[in-house]
Amino acid sequence: MLKMNKISCVYQTDLIETHALRDIDLNVKAGEFVALTGPSGSGKTTLLNLSGLLESATSGTYLLDGEDVSSLSDRQRSSIRNEKIGFIFQSFNLIPDLNLFDNVDVPLRYRAMGIEERRRRIENALELVGLSSRMKHLPSQLSGGQQQRVAIARALAGEPKFLLADEPTGNLDSLMARQVMELLEKINSEGTTIVMVTHDPELARRAHRSIELLDGQISSTQLFGVSAEEPDEKTEAESVA
Amino acid sequence: MEIRPILSAILRNKTGAILLAIQIALTLAVVVNAMFIVQQRLKFIGRPTGIDIENIIVISSQGFGSSYDHEQTVFSDLELLRAIPGVKYAAHISRFPLSGGGSRSGFTSTTDSDAESVGANYYFAQNGTIDALGVKLAAGRDFLPTEILTGEQIDNGVVASSVLITKALAEKLFPDGNALGNLVYGGTGDSSRVVGIIEKMHGAWVSWDGLNQVLIFPGLRKDSGQRYLVRTEPGQRDRLIPEVESVLEKASVSRYLDRMEPMSEMVGRSYDNDRVVANGLIIVIVLLVSITGLGIVGLASFLVRQRTKQVGTRRALGAQKYHIVRYFLVENWLITTMGVVVGTVMAFGLNYWTATEFSLPKLDPVFVPVGILGIWVLGVLAAAGPAKRASNISPAIATRTV
Ligand SMILES: Nc1ncnc2c1ncn2[C@@H]1O[C@H](COP(=O)(O)OP(=O)(O)OP(=O)(O)O)[C@@H](O)[C@H]1O
Ligand SMILES: [Mg+2]
Repeated sequence: MLKMNKISCVYQTDLIETHALRDIDLNVKAGEFVALTGPSGSGKTTLLNLSGLLESATSGTYLLDGEDVSSLSDRQRSSIRNEKIGFIFQSFNLIPDLNLFDNVDVPLRYRAMGIEERRRRIENALELVGLSSRMKHLPSQLSGGQQQRVAIARALAGEPKFLLADEPTGNLDSLMARQVMELLEKINSEGTTIVMVTHDPELARRAHRSIELLDGQISSTQLFGVSAEEPDEKTEAESVA
Repeated sequence: MEIRPILSAILRNKTGAILLAIQIALTLAVVVNAMFIVQQRLKFIGRPTGIDIENIIVISSQGFGSSYDHEQTVFSDLELLRAIPGVKYAAHISRFPLSGGGSRSGFTSTTDSDAESVGANYYFAQNGTIDALGVKLAAGRDFLPTEILTGEQIDNGVVASSVLITKALAEKLFPDGNALGNLVYGGTGDSSRVVGIIEKMHGAWVSWDGLNQVLIFPGLRKDSGQRYLVRTEPGQRDRLIPEVESVLEKASVSRYLDRMEPMSEMVGRSYDNDRVVANGLIIVIVLLVSITGLGIVGLASFLVRQRTKQVGTRRALGAQKYHIVRYFLVENWLITTMGVVVGTVMAFGLNYWTATEFSLPKLDPVFVPVGILGIWVLGVLAAAGPAKRASNISPAIATRTV
């Protein structure tokens, strides 16, 4: 599903060079649920952004769904984000002026998709996260957990192969966090590959595999469950530094 | 298109949008009316005069001393002027048309003292003066040399036997169309026969509605000043001015030149007020349009800045750059269109007010769509920069900002 080879990312600001990622090798199989952990500033978000084509690596190669995406145009990258990838953000990133229906509609509007099909998907997605009765509500009328569920619905409506979540439970209390986690597990069990950044060791343990970053490098990998396909042992061995 | 969600976003943050829409409405209303008035004034300034003003030099001079002989001076001056190569015609006239100075009287076509007289400017001129003016005869003929009265005769009350009148005056005096060959009566009952009809010729005062009503009597009144019209070959006017001046100065006559200029300059001065109004309104239009353009830039920039994270999120969710540009352009277009709708009503309201209060003419409605189109174009141009900036917001913003 996702194959990174010697990926490095350097941020250049005035005089300082920040090596956010150094020579990352990472292989995520289709259907896997991977947790990314590590201290603040270790490069988790950077790795997630690179995976989701939100930014480009400084060097290295990246195959997503079998396609080399290292040197695609902005237009092609946007299309891939729109069609193959779902995003869930720590602070939900819902559009405050739009009701839930329109929020979930946002990524669908960037596709050539008829209103009927869009409506069907939006209603199904909101149904799945248990908010179909609130379609006309504004995000500000919902609790944090509910807002994150809307964001998940928005990600799911596009039927992505690949779901990326940056601390999806970071702004939620433990009860709501558990609900969101259960939802993600359910989505994963239906075949969607998930990479999730989290600070919470307990949540990380519920993934199939947990990768810890330290100073832009993979410092350790722990296996917890069995994914749909067995992880590639060889790549695994390499990535454990 | 995503009009409905954009509209609901606008409606949730009304204040800025409403203020801008009001500004746009006011701009449209004022600009449309100002453009209309400017167009009216320019049309007024540019009215055809019937006179070849572009190729005429107007010259006036004042004689002095006991030896000054008016008739002699005029005849010898005209002879000198006509001899200059490049001069097509030179003639004398009692006052210059379109100079803001002239004589006016009432004229009728009957002896009936109850008949209402028609006001008209009248001039004294000689045979050939109409050629120097470049006016065209629609019917009849120019004066014969024998018809020209001397100053002496005029002083003694001899009435001109013939007169040239403009078509506009002929139509007023003789609505049946039989002006040529008929008599025109002055205030004292004196009459002159119409021997020629001038197609078109402006008289003295540009803001008088009788400007097209003109008579020319054949004669050279006694006067200490002379007024010459020198009509040159096309394009020769400016070159000939110094030459004309030196020829007249060399003539050994006791007089001094007090005017020597292109007729178009003299006519231009008569329209100074109208030009000031038109220029003033053009400045108002430019200022209003600039301020409103800046207002649009301001609101669009504000909305872009306020929505940095939203735009990043949209990009992360797969929006192409053009989707983002389109979003802001459509949003801006919706705001300008709200302004334009209100502005259209206000434009007609403002015109109704100026029409009733200041008796200005009724607005030509074609200016409204022109103004609307202009505002739309302005809106797109003003919002294009901020929209382009928005499209360059990185999708990484979505995860980087809290
Ligand atoms: N746009 C940027 N410009 C410069 N440096 C950056 C930029 N984004 C991230 N960095 C730096 O790159 C390093 C990795 O950042 P990153 O956000 O990936 O860390 P993180 O593991 O997600 O941290 P946290 O747990 O706090 O979210 C940090 O040192 C950070 O300061
Ligand atoms: Mg982070």
